Amino acid sequence: MEERQKAIQDRIREKARELLTNKAVDLIIGLGEGTLPLRATPIFIRNPEEADRLIWNSFCENNLATYLHKFSHSKVGIVLKGCDARSIIALSLEKRFKPDQLFLIGVPCQRMVDRRRVTKAVKGEILHAHEQGDQIIVEGEDFKTALKKNDFLYPSCQVCTHRTPVQANVWVGDPVEESPLVETHPEIKEFEKKSPEERWKYFEKESSRCIRCYACREVCPMCYCTECFVDSSNPRWIEKGLSPSDLEFYHIVRAYHQTGRCSGCGACERACPMEIRLTYLTQKLNLDVKEIFGFETGIDGDTPPPLSTYEIEDRQEFIK
Amino acid sequence: MKLKLDKKDFEDFLQSLMDEQDLYAPVQLAEGVSVFKRIDQPGEVNLTQFPSQKPAKDVFFPQSEVMFRYGKVGNQNEIHSMEEVKRERILFGARPCDIEAISIIEKVFVGKEYTDVYFLEKRKKTTIMGLGCNHPLSTCFCSSAGGDPFLRAGSDLFFIDLGEVYFVELLTEKGMAFRNNKFFKEADPKDLTLVKELEEKAFEKIGFSIPVDGIEKRLDLMAESSWWDRVHEKCVGCRICTYLCPTCHCFDMVDEASIDKGQRVRHWDSCLSSLYSQETSGHNPRPTTRERTRQRLMHKFNYYPKMFGQVACVGCGRCIIYCPVHFDIRQAILWTSPKRSKRFVGERI
Amino acid sequence: MKNPYFPIPMEVKKAYVETTDRMLRTLELGFLSQADEKAFHFIPGQFCELSVLGKGEAPFGIASSPKENGSLKFTINKAGVVTTALHHLEEGGKIGIRGPLGNGYPIDLFKGKNLLVIGGGFAFTTLRSLIAYLLHPENRSKVNEITVVYGARMPGLLLYKEELTQWEKRSDLKLVVTVDWGDKDWKGKVGLVPNVLEEVAPSSENTYAVICGPPIMIKFTFPKLMALRFPNERIYTSLEKRMKCGIGKCGRCNIGPLYVCKDGPVFSYAQLEKLPKDY
Repeated sequence: MEERQKAIQDRIREKARELLTNKAVDLIIGLGEGTLPLRATPIFIRNPEEADRLIWNSFCENNLATYLHKFSHSKVGIVLKGCDARSIIALSLEKRFKPDQLFLIGVPCQRMVDRRRVTKAVKGEILHAHEQGDQIIVEGEDFKTALKKNDFLYPSCQVCTHRTPVQANVWVGDPVEESPLVETHPEIKEFEKKSPEERWKYFEKESSRCIRCYACREVCPMCYCTECFVDSSNPRWIEKGLSPSDLEFYHIVRAYHQTGRCSGCGACERACPMEIRLTYLTQKLNLDVKEIFGFETGIDGDTPPPLSTYEIEDRQEFIK
Repeated sequence: MKLKLDKKDFEDFLQSLMDEQDLYAPVQLAEGVSVFKRIDQPGEVNLTQFPSQKPAKDVFFPQSEVMFRYGKVGNQNEIHSMEEVKRERILFGARPCDIEAISIIEKVFVGKEYTDVYFLEKRKKTTIMGLGCNHPLSTCFCSSAGGDPFLRAGSDLFFIDLGEVYFVELLTEKGMAFRNNKFFKEADPKDLTLVKELEEKAFEKIGFSIPVDGIEKRLDLMAESSWWDRVHEKCVGCRICTYLCPTCHCFDMVDEASIDKGQRVRHWDSCLSSLYSQETSGHNPRPTTRERTRQRLMHKFNYYPKMFGQVACVGCGRCIIYCPVHFDIRQAILWTSPKRSKRFVGERI
Repeated sequence: MKNPYFPIPMEVKKAYVETTDRMLRTLELGFLSQADEKAFHFIPGQFCELSVLGKGEAPFGIASSPKENGSLKFTINKAGVVTTALHHLEEGGKIGIRGPLGNGYPIDLFKGKNLLVIGGGFAFTTLRSLIAYLLHPENRSKVNEITVVYGARMPGLLLYKEELTQWEKRSDLKLVVTVDWGDKDWKGKVGLVPNVLEEVAPSSENTYAVICGPPIMIKFTFPKLMALRFPNERIYTSLEKRMKCGIGKCGRCNIGPLYVCKDGPVFSYAQLEKLPKDY
């Protein structure tokens, strides 16, 4: 496993060096070493000498597609996992960047580790972590534990069936076998068993922790509105405080604004400081879209999202 | 006055406090998620997680606060200001960094000309029971920012976890009012020895590695540096660092109204949000994350020191742990230091 | 303890539209309590936060002079939720006010000197306060020559038209009113403010300049002031910045270590040079 990751890392660095030396791109957005264990951090390099800062491991969880809105005036090379590449395709359908603006470095993903669950599995602060085969070795001041990587993957990674980027200018690894670890998202499985009242109670409990930091919105590549509905003062759809109905409204509306556009990357849930479960909402909506419209976000670059288009043949039986 | 409290009596002790006053302490909302809020049951208190997501500033400067309520009576508006604090309060279990941060906010809110009555009323009516940090985390750098894991300043009572008991020091007049609490006993000499040992161990662990000292002058020279073009790149402009920061205190004021009544409310706001400085004309003096990140770092380490003589950072490490893109403020500080490598290639930020 | 966020109740005594495009409306507000009126002392250049309960609060420069006892005058540009609500207020309407806030113009510095006032569009509000204050018999002798250059895009967009006509007749004030584009009834000057300033060419010797206007006007007028040899310490302006609390607590309006609401909004260019370009 590590050899594969190391090989991918070398190839990412090689490609980055090449692109920057030939000035094929102005900038490469990739991931670099974090200062804390279990973390990588987005880095932005402009010189070939910096290419060795790029890394690849199972902590490379960030969806870098969200930075394209910031660097829309540059020619950008970007390192993408399968889910990130789907976001790019969804964005290209929405015409968020010019056709030749991007160079996509596609990485067939080995699934990302849920750093928060790892942290909770041990007692004490983790000071070092590294991958070894199919294990993660974590060390603290007075402990050293080996954890089985597959027990600590993000739910969105467990159900993923598009780990190889569907589109890229270059793939830095061989395509992976596209079978999910679990058929159904574990939280959706639980959610679907609940009655409507129980579902509401679960959602109410999760959203009650929200502190309106909007991290979910800012890390999402699909949230790029210059004025979000929460900021609108006329009409004022929602207040800025913490009243439960406002928190619920925000989460429901944001989930719905993603319907048919969300690639299921899980960046929203990973960003939330209050650990609010969010992917059960977005993934459930994605499943519904697949069932009703036969559409999956970001798989082909031609079919527009079903909720953004109108055809005469669209279902109308709900119009009475 | 040096006392101790047996951990066996801890919940009864808390209950004795709650019988007289409102008790605010860290509470776990979910595993790994903790905030400061008012306790209804002593069992709710959770002192194991540090840092809590929401800092102790929430107790004095709540995220959402009603400033005044009004109702229409005939043609007149009747307005009721809401700063009154009816019951005395206790803040229990805040660490020295969070407590120091309250005094940083106080310097802004309690001024010579204008005083924020909402903050001051809460501050005056609260007794602070601080808790020392036996095990600073690798992300803590309070000692570099002028504090330390056992800083007593700002606390009225100070608790230190000695294993089976809490060591309790009564520091101020407000603190002395609790000397007759039936659960307090005299501290033993061996307790004092243990305290000293814990303090030394913690100081050794945390070190003085982050060059916060002198950062104001260094940033003076960097006001228009091209460094700002790189620092901001990974920031996505969410509000986590500012909302979880114990010293950040920007707020917004809005009216919430129905037909004949309403209220003016203030909410936490963040200089990192894109619409923060947006003017009615459409002009935005801080249009990108470049200007906004600069504003945040300069405010903490240059503007606030110019106004009040200390940096507006207590080294709690929340922004480092909870930032979704892992922006590490310690690296930013290190980068201003002359000790960094001369060749700046945008690295390490 | 006084709650600085609590508005003082006021009543609209008069309300009228100033400009032909109906976007600018002047409100004259009277205090409801004598005690509040007695306690309210302000100097030109200060501002107040006007509250419409249920809609919000917004800062406006005081257009009336401290010597005009009774009502406080504000001219409001209709732009958003609060200003639209202010535009709908009629005589007798209730409104809240917090103030006076800000630092005001440094009138003490102007004593014994000449004063050049340059205004553009609806930024003229606090300049009106300054000019009216200095023209008052008690104050006129404090300052030497007063030159005013005021321009708007079109004649209909000039503020305080009747007053301007009165002022043009005065011998103790040199007033030049100009418009970017005239109309068939306009008999006055036609020309952009920077160019008119160049024409008028007031001496910079012993003179202070106060300039308030839209950014584009300031951008082109400033070089003319430089050409006339005005040093930065003697050019003052009132800055526009998004504000909320108005008392230096909420943090919104800071430029460097200064708050525009508390340490400003009036700054000299010498001061602004030392601050980051956050405005």
